[in-house]
Amino acid sequence: MTSYCSLLYLAVFLPAVVLVHRILPQRLRWAALLAASYAFFWSVSGKLLVFLLVSTVSIHYFGLWLASEQQCRDHHLAAAAPSDRKAIRHRFTRRLRGILLLAVASQVGILLTLKYAAFFSSNLNRLLLAMDLPLHVPVPSFLLPIGISFYTLQAVSYLTDVYRGTVRADRNLARLALFLGFFPQIMEGPICRYSQTADALWAGHPITWQSLTFGMQRILYGMIKKIVIADRLNSLIKTVFNDYQTFGGGIIALAMVCYTCQLYMDFSGTMDVVLGSAEIFGVRMPENFRQPFFSRSISEFWQRWHITLGTWFKDYVFYPLSMSGPLKKLTGAARRRLGVHYGPLVSGSIALAVVWFFNGLWHGAGWHYLFFGFYHFALILMGSLAEPLVQRLTAFLHIDRTRLPYRIFQTVRTVLLVCVGELFFRANGLRAGLAMFRAMVTDFSLEPFMNGSFLSLGMDKYDFCITLVAVALVLAVGILRERGVSLRETVARRPIAVRWSVYYTAVLFLIIFGAYGVGYVPVDPIYAAF
Amino acid sequence: MKRNLSLLARGGCFLLLLAALLLGVSHLFMPKNNHKSFGVSDGELLANGILGERENSIDVLVVGDSEAYSSISPMQMWSERGFASYLCSTPAQPLYDSYRFLRQAFERQSPKVVILETNAIFRSYKLNDYLLSRAKNLFSVLRYHDRWKALSVNDFGRQLDYTFTDDLKGFRYNPAVAAASTANYMKPTDRKAAIPALNETCLQDMLTLCRENDAQLLLVSTPSTINWNTARHNRIAAFAEENDLVYIDMNTMPKEVPIDWARDTRDRGDHLNYAGAVKVSSFLGQYLQTTYELPDRRDAAHYNSWNDALSRYRNIVKG
Amino acid sequence: MDYATCRDLIDSHYLDSLTILALVAELEENFDITIPTVEIIPANFNSAEDMWAMITHLQEEG
Repeated sequence: MTSYCSLLYLAVFLPAVVLVHRILPQRLRWAALLAASYAFFWSVSGKLLVFLLVSTVSIHYFGLWLASEQQCRDHHLAAAAPSDRKAIRHRFTRRLRGILLLAVASQVGILLTLKYAAFFSSNLNRLLLAMDLPLHVPVPSFLLPIGISFYTLQAVSYLTDVYRGTVRADRNLARLALFLGFFPQIMEGPICRYSQTADALWAGHPITWQSLTFGMQRILYGMIKKIVIADRLNSLIKTVFNDYQTFGGGIIALAMVCYTCQLYMDFSGTMDVVLGSAEIFGVRMPENFRQPFFSRSISEFWQRWHITLGTWFKDYVFYPLSMSGPLKKLTGAARRRLGVHYGPLVSGSIALAVVWFFNGLWHGAGWHYLFFGFYHFALILMGSLAEPLVQRLTAFLHIDRTRLPYRIFQTVRTVLLVCVGELFFRANGLRAGLAMFRAMVTDFSLEPFMNGSFLSLGMDKYDFCITLVAVALVLAVGILRERGVSLRETVARRPIAVRWSVYYTAVLFLIIFGAYGVGYVPVDPIYAAF
Repeated sequence: MKRNLSLLARGGCFLLLLAALLLGVSHLFMPKNNHKSFGVSDGELLANGILGERENSIDVLVVGDSEAYSSISPMQMWSERGFASYLCSTPAQPLYDSYRFLRQAFERQSPKVVILETNAIFRSYKLNDYLLSRAKNLFSVLRYHDRWKALSVNDFGRQLDYTFTDDLKGFRYNPAVAAASTANYMKPTDRKAAIPALNETCLQDMLTLCRENDAQLLLVSTPSTINWNTARHNRIAAFAEENDLVYIDMNTMPKEVPIDWARDTRDRGDHLNYAGAVKVSSFLGQYLQTTYELPDRRDAAHYNSWNDALSRYRNIVKG
Repeated sequence: MDYATCRDLIDSHYLDSLTILALVAELEENFDITIPTVEIIPANFNSAEDMWAMITHLQEEG
């Protein structure tokens, strides 16, 4: 089972789990979900399941350790005289911090070793070679268990939440195991918090007619995004990115836009399948996308795209770092010199740089991912630096920033900037990305679109037409969502003839216009590789 | 409870109607002829040429992968022995496709002998692909959905009418030569290679299908230094014995099928070339005719088209 | 945009993380409090009222 959109998952695995879940009494349903989750993991990664088990058992242990220290502290505090409390609190904070550090280091350590050892050692070798040192470190290569980048982040968030006291340490190993390894989320997220899903997973709510049908409808919508759009765009993107030297700027720009579209459709489509699957079992997972292409700034884009990753970095890296002692002192000093707008930006940008360094690296061990992270960091920082200037400028030119034309300008600008970022993201290495960008800027022409040669890249005019229709459909759904309309509920209120027609049309649309079978190579789920 | 039942009934109705709809659309998307221009895929064009053959005109049907269409030439057997054979073989044919071609052929043909080239038996594939193939057999719109690009008004309500036949009857002519090494070829061993579990079921399905259609299933291993070995031979021999089938392994018959590995292969022992195919077909034609008492149809009036095809075939293989 | 009455400053993404940082520095200075990381959650910053509630509760603890 390598994809949530495969027949094996949708027609065999998921229905089987639904059936078993339905038959079992409520107090045993968690067992069905856990067994299914481990079976799923096994089918993808086999024996590497050990890594998930080790992580599960260790965070269970560390969580309880933190809890017992906290209990001990509260005990001492209650017994101590008020004057001693500060010292006691201080002593225990240090201890707790040490435990958390150890716990997080063990989780992240596994991830670092498996995922980045090869990148770091090969770059170290390059450095040694450049310095003419006769040293050579071995370059290890490991098989990555599926989803390790995702469940590690969940594990770290759980441990930190226990440390902060916002979540009680879980004594129940099975519940923790289910929170970490629940099969719909294991491959590509969303990155859930313990407080968001653990209880619902354990509760074993009965599958209702509404949860079943709504879940399936969302799965269908996600499959349309993935199979009709993302998979259809694949051959053009592959052709251009693998052979970029032979194409002019016009074609590269086309491929860039197509890839940005593909990445969104693939990832958000898979998220629809994932959230739909979870919804069937009465589990509401956090949304990962909120119409990102309606964003008016890069900063807003990241609050709408891969949301659970963004908030994870914000809660567990950005704020802790920017609110830490040294950086807080820096903020205070900078505020006195640079004023209330630019002052906090100093330490803010330091924390932000760290976030984007890790964000880039999280996507993969490669310089172009680091470049991608730095690119977005620079854009967000520039947006913040320029804000007072833009305010003055627009006031001077009498431009109303709340009016539609200006908002459209902002949105188009943001989408373009995002597309350029994704160009580097997809390029086969940083050098290729830079070359493609240069070709696009210096050698841009509309010629291939005039003489029709853009139709020979693996997509003919029918392919482009159907892709455009499908994208327009997703756009329309997006606009409705922005306005707060829930499509599924609106349709559910219609008479049965209308309702069923909608569902049948959607199924047939997927089956007829999907890009699968002979002549198509589906995209590997892009985010499962991270 | 009552509410649950009514919901269940509603779900059932929804699915039934969906199935009916898919069947209807499947009919619409089905290629209405077996010519390439009607939407038959490149890989399956030649194998589907059998659809254009007259009803009940084929005596021997062959299914299998590229090993089959590289080494068995129906036209040569026709010219030497006079029985009609056809290859429904496709590149890298998974066994579930062998089964599908067999089933498709039995709809209009009643061959006396069905040959399965054994290499396909060891080809493994993903469970997902197997399921997908089953679903495609049920709803052919899943197989032919890409035809929406070429769908015309004619596709509505039109009857099936197959008019394409292949002059080589599924055989693919290739005279290239690239010598093979025979260093490890058919080294003795007692080991038995494993048949993928899904293929075991496929084989049983094929056996049943042949039995129902009164056809004899014959297992044939054509010569190949790369694909064939003693472990595989042992397994197929055991399988044949368990199921009371006849098994011919040409890799163990240097006298009857004298392959010269320096000249008779086109890609270093993976596949035979035309010269190798001549040797295999010559032996196979004789074996089939004597074993199964197949009739000589060369003078029958309704096989004129085969004699016409033969003269075109001779032109092709003259080189 | 009316900051005095808006009730979903965070949930509707009017405030991004850099702005919140500036806001926290402002609040800390003006009200003489220390806002710990755990308090930086949407519920504390969604409206002016929420922020005031957080400030008073931090001052009491202080």
